[in-house]
Formats: sequence, structure tokens, C-alpha cells
Amino acid sequence: MLIFSASDKGGTGRSVTSANLAYHRAMAGDDVCYLDFDFGSPTAAAVFDVADARQATEDHGLHAYLTGEVSEPARIDVWAETEHQVLRFPPPGCGRLVLMPGDVSGGEFATGDDHLRRCVDLLMNLHHEFDLVVVDLSAGRSYAVDMALEATAQPEMRDVTARWLVFHRWTRQHVAAAAGLVFGKRGILAGGVERGHGEEALRNAIRFVRAAVPDPESPLWSQVSPTQSAWMRKTDGDLKQLASTHGIGYSQVLGSVPLEPVLQWREQLITDEDVLDSQVANQETWQALSRLAARLTDDKHWEQA
Amino acid sequence: MTAVRGRGARTVLACGEVRTCLLPSLQALDARAAAQLLRLRADVPVRISERPVLHALSPEVLTGVDCRLPTADGSRVRGVGTVTARAALTEGRLLQATACFSLPAAGPDTRRPWGQYLVRPGLVEPFGKLPRQATAAGVLRGAGRGELDLGMISEGLLAQVRRHPLLDRRVPFKSGPTRLRWVAWRTPAGERAALVNFTVAEGGLRTVELRLPEDVPASAAAGLCEDLALHDWLLTTVQHLLDNSRLGAADGPSAVGALYPVVVHLLHLWMPRAHVDPALGHLWDALEDRPGFSRQWENLSRRIRDRLALQAVAVPHQALGTR
Amino acid sequence: MTGAVFQETTAELRTQSVPLAHLSLELGHLYMEDFEAGPARLREHFAEVRIWADAVRASAARRSKRPRISTCFLVDDYFTRFSTPAELVPMVLAEAERAGLVIDYLARESACAVADRIELAESVTHRLVESPPPGSHGSRPPVSRTGWLANGERTPAGPRSALGEVKGWQPPQETAARNHSIFMDVELWSERDGRRLWSCPFLAAVWQLARLGLLRHLGEPVLVPAQWTGTDFPQDWDRLPPLVRLTDTAAAFSAYRTCTLLPNRFLAVEDAVRLILDQTDVDAGALRQVAERSAAEGMPVPAAVAQRAGYVFYEEPGGFSEAGET
Repeated sequence: MLIFSASDKGGTGRSVTSANLAYHRAMAGDDVCYLDFDFGSPTAAAVFDVADARQATEDHGLHAYLTGEVSEPARIDVWAETEHQVLRFPPPGCGRLVLMPGDVSGGEFATGDDHLRRCVDLLMNLHHEFDLVVVDLSAGRSYAVDMALEATAQPEMRDVTARWLVFHRWTRQHVAAAAGLVFGKRGILAGGVERGHGEEALRNAIRFVRAAVPDPESPLWSQVSPTQSAWMRKTDGDLKQLASTHGIGYSQVLGSVPLEPVLQWREQLITDEDVLDSQVANQETWQALSRLAARLTDDKHWEQA
Repeated sequence: MTAVRGRGARTVLACGEVRTCLLPSLQALDARAAAQLLRLRADVPVRISERPVLHALSPEVLTGVDCRLPTADGSRVRGVGTVTARAALTEGRLLQATACFSLPAAGPDTRRPWGQYLVRPGLVEPFGKLPRQATAAGVLRGAGRGELDLGMISEGLLAQVRRHPLLDRRVPFKSGPTRLRWVAWRTPAGERAALVNFTVAEGGLRTVELRLPEDVPASAAAGLCEDLALHDWLLTTVQHLLDNSRLGAADGPSAVGALYPVVVHLLHLWMPRAHVDPALGHLWDALEDRPGFSRQWENLSRRIRDRLALQAVAVPHQALGTR
Repeated sequence: MTGAVFQETTAELRTQSVPLAHLSLELGHLYMEDFEAGPARLREHFAEVRIWADAVRASAARRSKRPRISTCFLVDDYFTRFSTPAELVPMVLAEAERAGLVIDYLARESACAVADRIELAESVTHRLVESPPPGSHGSRPPVSRTGWLANGERTPAGPRSALGEVKGWQPPQETAARNHSIFMDVELWSERDGRRLWSCPFLAAVWQLARLGLLRHLGEPVLVPAQWTGTDFPQDWDRLPPLVRLTDTAAAFSAYRTCTLLPNRFLAVEDAVRLILDQTDVDAGALRQVAERSAAEGMPVPAAVAQRAGYVFYEEPGGFSEAGET
């Protein structure tokens, strides 16, 4: 299965959340590959803590592959190459976790027939090798999004299940922007249909992920005044209403990830050690990620809304 | 005007890379379909051999190159010529693509008219003297940016075949590809060929070094390395399937589900040296001796059969029925 | 493979050999406009050709005391269909004879595309191996997709990285340039209504390969001459074999070398033919047979195939060239 991660704006935690989902699936025994198609600003290497390995693969990344300069993109075996103390010792029975980094120097680029062909080849090959392929796409209506839509519309990819996660923060602007990215005039849906996707099928393959959502009931906010608390609840309710009118209400949401300082500040994988031993991360975040990871492949959550 | 030289400007080194993967097709192809798939040229037949296993070999295609040779010590040597590539399909199930070329000890300092290179397919001439050692090491290490890239050529051919409309581009189970890079040192005719080393590296990479007498064509070395790569792929893939945790944790039917395709698609493919040139068949002996490729395979097959047998005892008929 | 007891014929590669003359001399190539200009034009043509044909024979005699030379003539039935074999062939033969020339073999141009249901031109496209410009390290040749073949690097076109540097116009570059480039880009085919129309230079390149004895299909010879025994030629081009032998000559159609006599307006076409031949990977078995036999006869062929084709370009006999260029 292919998972494409998109967002309208930066700062939605798209990359770091997607990476955490990949990590959870690998821990559960799946062979997982994570592709950094965030061509503007590749960050995945930092999230997986593989900076050194990434240095070594500079100029051999996805850019160089798509432009035909190298025969295949560099792979980083996260378990073997990470400098993260916990990730270095994955539990027995976990699957492979492979990162395909972008290139440090490569920016966004226009896609041509050759790029598209190579992109399709790559996705097909990875699909034949890995249980789950997570593709992190540049924010907005980017070339990366275009290429993903175009590639998945090709006849040879018809039988490959591809699902889309659209990340947004829990604010009015972000909710509106995320809806625009999907349903807008030049949005993913319209763009996909233009490239040969069936509208209904594509719509059913898109789910939203609310990121950095403050939970008014969380102990984090137990110290705030009653007025603040009431305001938070009211705003949360208003946002839910807004999301619903924009067509991204409850049934379109795959899950939420709570506001989590570790994700916001450190942009790293949250390990069980962070939650249980050092307790720098919240149990709720771990659970939310775990739930989300399981839902990626749970058809029940992808049935017609 | 130079006349055609006898076929051999003498070569001192032959190098190649073979990529091995599962054919993306739910059904294994029969001989006819295999011939159709590998028909890279309309006017040259696909070579089909049905015994002892079905083996189809495509015609060779050429790619022109003019670039730096891969060298381990950073020495910059330009090479011009052609690289041959070919694809092979075994039992309609395992697809391989090889790219290879040979190098003479030295070549002219200027580029010649292209037609002169084309009449000696598979030969890449260095500008000046060839740094043998550095080039061999460079090939095994893999091409740097801008260097002659065998991986690019073999992968390109593999991609071309995998896009063939004959294939449904679906796989019966997940598996990764492997790469095997090889160099063959040329030795005087009549000497006995030898396997110098076979190394299993990370990331699906294997390297092989051979000593190859001058009277044995480079294509025979390519054939041997395809055979080694194929069997190494089988070991790697089946081992990975058996290592999968969820199999170890073995709640019944999932183990059957995971192992069933191995039994159906892979177990019968083990047939070392089936299509290896007789002059090189004995090179397998070293590997059979240590680490013992076939021993390992027997062991893996036994584990799979045992597990399935246990399953059959434990789970009455219905689980097997649903595969 | 020594002493193999078990054999599978489908597992072996064999290239059959073909009979070979020393020289294949082409006496002309007839297009519709030549035909429409009437017999006088043919007469002029053959009168001119006769002189050069004698010169070519004299040249061949320097290589061998008893040169085996076969002559051939090509009629275009591919780009335009005109007249009938029944009407045209006797006229051509008569005019040649009047000039003292003998045409041994007559071929139809469409035979270079498809002969005896074998798609010769298509097969040759699979054999194109582009001459790599410096820096080519193994990316795949795009000929099969573009339908164009060049002798160097084209002017780069199109955007690359969105934030990459913007470059002004860059000249194309001939790979084998000496100081300065003569860049050439040849269209091999065009597509119309889903049908592929081969270009004149490409068919002419196939024609050269046939005359040089270098074409095979699954190891078998192609374009094998059919002896024409009947007196009357058919009313329909399709009923004329692709290549017919008109005389009882002992000289084979294919030869170690070719020489083609042409009006000078064909210079560009034949230059394109050389470009194509120079980037064609011909059947290795056929190549070896020709090399070995020519060497054994003491007249080894040049290594590069394109070098085996010679030409004489002459001025079109008075007043006719304008008609040919419309």
C-alpha cells in the first residue's frame, strides 16, 4: 500500500507525523519504506536521526533518480544507520524501515514524461518489495503532488492501493486551507480527475489528519482559568463546525494527533522510551500515533463516507 | 582505412552487474510468453532452454558510453565503447538483467569514429593505459557520479522488461531485488577458471571476483554470475520470509499464507549450474564447500515443509483450503 | 561447449551466411518525377551513369583481377505508387541496354520497409545504438521514442530544476567534431494516423545493409532474390517480388562493398544514411562472415560499416534537376 502525505501549509507536522507512522508500522512487523518527496526542504533525515548516512548519500537521492542521473535512489536502513540510541536496537520481529532521502541541493522541478516514468517504476518496485510505502510530499499544490497524482493515475498502477493523508493544524486558517487543497478549483481532487482518477474513488482515498490539536480536557490545561477553559471548548466546537461545513468533518478524519512538545520542538520519532522511561512525551500522543498507524490499512476507516 | 581486426583486441578485464528480482506477474510465464517478453530485438530470437529448468535469454542490446571509468583510487580514465545488456527469465518467475563490458590493457588517446566501436560490441577502450586494479575495485564498489554506471544500464533494461504489457505487474508475495557486481581477471588461455571471492554485503549487494581464461567468452562469466545471483536471491528471499516475526509468533493461518507462495513459486527453482558454461561449472564447488549454498537451501526448505506439516496437523482442513 | 550430448535447438544462435560479390553497383533509383519526365530523362540518366559505372569497374579491377560485380536498380513504390511493373520495368531495361548497361537485380523500395512479411526497417530501429556524447555514463538512449538520430548533442531545451540556473541559447555539438561542429539530426520516421512512415534516408540505410549482406532475420537471410522467369511483368507492384534477379549473372546481390551512382541532389540523403549506418549495431554473425571471407579473398573490408559504402554524385543531366526538386 502507498500512503501519500500532503498538506497545504508548512508547519503542520506532516513530515514528523508521517515518519512516526512509518516507525509504528515497522515496529509492528511491516517492511516500510519512507520516501522524502518534500523537494523544497527535505527533512526526513533529521527526523530519523540519520544525518551522517544522509551526508554519504548526498546527490544520490530521489532528485538524482527522478532526473535520471542515478539508476536508483539511495536507501538508508534506519535501524542500522540511525544515531538515535533507542532506534539502534529495534525489538526482534520488527520489519525493515528504509528511508529514501531527497537531495540536499535539489529544489522543486517541473515534471516531464521521463520523470513520471521513473516515478511510476519506483513506486511499483517499492510496492512489490515493501508492505507499506509512505511518501512525504512538499506542502501546497506542488510538483510533488502533481507527480504523485499523475503517477497513480497510470494504468499500470490501477491495482495498487494508494491513500492520501492531508495534514492540517487545528486553526481556522488551516482548516480552510486543507479543504482548499483537496476540494478547491486546482485541488487534489480536481487535479486527480484531470489526470484520469475516478472522482469517487479518489475522494474515498483521501482522509484528513488533524495535527497539534489541543485537547481542552487534557491535564495540560488543568491549570487554566474557567473563562479560558470555556473559551477553549467553545473554539474547539466552532472549529469542528467549520471543518464540517468545509467537508472535512468527522467522517473524513482518520485521526488527530494531540499538541505534543516533542513533535513540535524536536521533530523526531517518539519512541516508547520517550513515553515510558524519560516521559518527555505524552502517552496520549503515542496512542494517537499508534491508532493512526493501524488505521492506515484498516479498510473500515476508508469506506465511503 | 583500418581493416576489421581479428575479433580480439585482447582484453584484460571483464566486468558486469546483474540484478535479480521476482517477475511482477501473478502467474509464472510459460516458454512462449517468456520469449515474447524478452524479444528485445525483432530479428534475433530469444534463446529458450526448457531443461532442466525453463530458461529464456534475450538477445543482447548495446548502450554507448563515453565517460570516466569507475576507479577506486580516483584516477580519471576516460573510456569509450559499448556495454552489452541482456535479460534472462528462469522458470518464468525470476527476472535478471546483466550489463557487462570488457577492457583492453590500453587504447588510443583520441576517440575514433563511432562505427568502429560498434563492430566490437561489449568492448570499452580506455584512453591510454588501463589502471586494472583500480578499475576492478571501482566496478565492485559501484559507479560514482558521472562514471560508467553498470547499475544504470542493467536497471534500465530491467525497468523496460517490467513495463512489458504482457505482465499484470502484480506479485504473489513481497520481495526485494539484489545486485551482484563482478569482475573477471583475464588469464592465459587454457588455464583453469577460478572463483576468487564471493562477498555478501549490505543492502542486497553481492560482489564476485573471477579468474577467467582468455578462451572463455565474457558472456560465459555473465551466465555464471547470473546463476550465482539467482541462487543467492533465493536464499536471501526465503530467509527473509522465514525471519519475519509474525511468522515466528505463528498464529496458524498467517504462516501458511506467508509460506504458501514460497512452496508454489520458489522451492523448485533451486538448480545450480543448470545453464552455466561447462568451462565454469566447477566454480560452484567452492561455494558448495563453504558456506554450502545447497546445504543452506535444503535446510530452509526443510524448515518450511516442517512448519507447513505441523500446521496441517494442528489446523484441520479448512485453513489450508483458504490458503 | 565441448562434447555436449544433450542439445536444444531453441537454445542456440546461428547466423546463416549469404553469397557475396565483391561490389554491389547501384545504377539508379527511380522516383515518380523521373518517370513522369519520360523516357528521355532515363536515357540521359543512363548515358551519364555509364561513364561512371566504367570508372567504378576500373577501380574494382585494382582490388581483384576478376572482380565479381552485380548491378542493381531501385524503384520507389513506397512514397508514391506510379505506373505498373508491366509498363515500367521493360522501359527501364531497354533504356539501360541502350546505354550499354545491364541491370542484374531490381528491387522495390517498399521492400526495405517490409519484405516477405518481415519488417526489416522495424528490426533495424532495434539495432540503433546512439553514438554517446562525452559524459554518457549509461543513461538509456532515447532514439526509439523520439524517432530522431543525431551525430551529437542537441541544443538543450526545456526547464530543469525550477530554481536551477537559467541558461541562454547553447549550440548543438557534433560528437566527432574537429574544431568546429557539423551537426546533423535525422528524422527516421513520422507517425500519421497511427501508421509509421519511414523516412527516405532510413529506408536507404536498410537498403545499404541489404546490399552489404548484413541483414538477417532470426539468423536467416532476408531479401533473397527471386529469379524472374516470366516474360511479362505484373500489373501490380505488390505482385512483383521485393527483389528480382533479371539476368543469369553469377555475381551475388550482396557484396563486400557498395557503390551508388546518384545525381548530386541526393547528397544530403546519403549523408544521413552514413549517419544511420555509423550508429547501427549490425548482426555480429553476419559481420564476422563478411570480414572473414573478404579477408580470405585479400580484400578486407573497412571495420566500420558506413565506410564500406562508396558513392559517385554527378550533375543531373541538363534541365532536369529543377523538376526533381518540386
